[in-house]
Amino acid sequence: MEIKYIDALAALALVILAIGLARYKSISAEKEMAYGSIRAFVQLVAVGYVLEFIFNTESIWLVIMAVAAMLLVGSYTAGDRDKHTGRGFPIALISMTAGSLVTLVLMLALGIITTEARYLIPLAGMIISNSMNSSSITLERVGADLKGNRLEIETALSLGKTWQEASRRIYRNAVRAGLISILNYLKTVGIVALPGAMTGMILAGISPLKAVLLQIIVSYMLLSAVTITSLLTGELAVRRFFNKAEQFTG
Amino acid sequence: MNSSEPCSPGVENKILEVLEASRLVVNKSESITTVQTVSFSFQKGEIYNLIGPSGAGKSSFLRLLNRLDEPTSGRILFRGKPLNIYPPPELRRRIVMLFQEPYLFSGTVLYNLEYCCPDKNRRDLSGVLECVGLPLNMADKDTAGLSVGERQRVALARAIILEPEVLLLDEPTSALDPASARIVEDLILGLVRQLCLTAIIVTHSPEQAQRFGGTTLIMSKGSLVESGPTEKLLTDPKTEAARKYIRREVS
Repeated sequence: MEIKYIDALAALALVILAIGLARYKSISAEKEMAYGSIRAFVQLVAVGYVLEFIFNTESIWLVIMAVAAMLLVGSYTAGDRDKHTGRGFPIALISMTAGSLVTLVLMLALGIITTEARYLIPLAGMIISNSMNSSSITLERVGADLKGNRLEIETALSLGKTWQEASRRIYRNAVRAGLISILNYLKTVGIVALPGAMTGMILAGISPLKAVLLQIIVSYMLLSAVTITSLLTGELAVRRFFNKAEQFTG
Repeated sequence: MNSSEPCSPGVENKILEVLEASRLVVNKSESITTVQTVSFSFQKGEIYNLIGPSGAGKSSFLRLLNRLDEPTSGRILFRGKPLNIYPPPELRRRIVMLFQEPYLFSGTVLYNLEYCCPDKNRRDLSGVLECVGLPLNMADKDTAGLSVGERQRVALARAIILEPEVLLLDEPTSALDPASARIVEDLILGLVRQLCLTAIIVTHSPEQAQRFGGTTLIMSKGSLVESGPTEKLLTDPKTEAARKYIRREVS
């Protein structure tokens, strides 16, 4: 199946249907829907050209720059939601970079992928978007739970516990919260929904058995990256609430 | 129990020395002096009552003594050495604080005792329950089902299992009914004598301070306004601020 611009334009009928329904039901979201649809079109076309350019030049530096840009935007988005630590952006950046790099380097070392842009960029994109959500949730949970449980923390500190011991329950719960989405995904992958990468391959005419193999690799890759990101985000975020004298500063 | 030194209340044996300690808390909108140039020496094996109106800085002062907060000026010495010489967890095992509202970790009473001393065996841990007047079979009870009085006693057991030298008690009976409060008061008095502890107790009630005896310190607006033997101080205060406070509270 070959997709042309005219097909994408034809799909606008679906947008018109959605906007029509929203207007009929007075949802007041028509403008946003129209704006979002146009923006998505422009963004995706632009990204298509950029990727085409990077794939054709095959420069590793361009790949690194593209991944770095994705990491910066992703960690800024995750950190921007943080209302508690005051350092959401650097925490998310460090955690997401570590999660992404460790996972990608391991995949390269195991020979699962090569340094070709057509592998690295889409995989990094998947890793970063999943890590961003995980980092964002972990940051929020650490901050809210530490601030809401001052008595528990100070009781533990007053009984001679270290800051790590005093915050262990909250750290563990926050990391688990950051992992919920990937764990749900692993449980339901292929049953509740076919993942994007696999769907794309099947639509592009590749055998479902081959598409499934790639999806298994993608699933494990996401689990690794999200776990590293969430653990590190939790660790760095909890640290922000204690000073050198092991006093709770939240 | 906690040291080889003999316990001789009344004999000069400074355990905690507060030297012109102040604490300034800076918020977004204002800065508040919660403790203002307080100096005082606490002796080993003695009881101290810290009384004064709400907002006088009593709890804030208590938090400086086990380094839950830092003084912004002045010094505090424990056994002649500045608090910051000690690793904070070690210091806080030797100067244990109990809060007004006892927090127990979810799980059994035994889990709460083990949390403090994972190395001790079940028999030793349960034995501490007896020290605070709780039955041994309470060890396996879930903390969620305990009354406030029982919770405070478990918190006390959890503190003494650490074999501290100083016990900081922030209004330990304020959430209890008068009968339970008296039981906890007697327990504290017994433990202080038996284990040669130094107890520093924040209380709102001059009557309770009278029952504890020992020495009383009156704080007002962050400052220590007067201190002395409890009986003498409560019946014959020297300063106007102390007189006003005692008259108002007693009436």
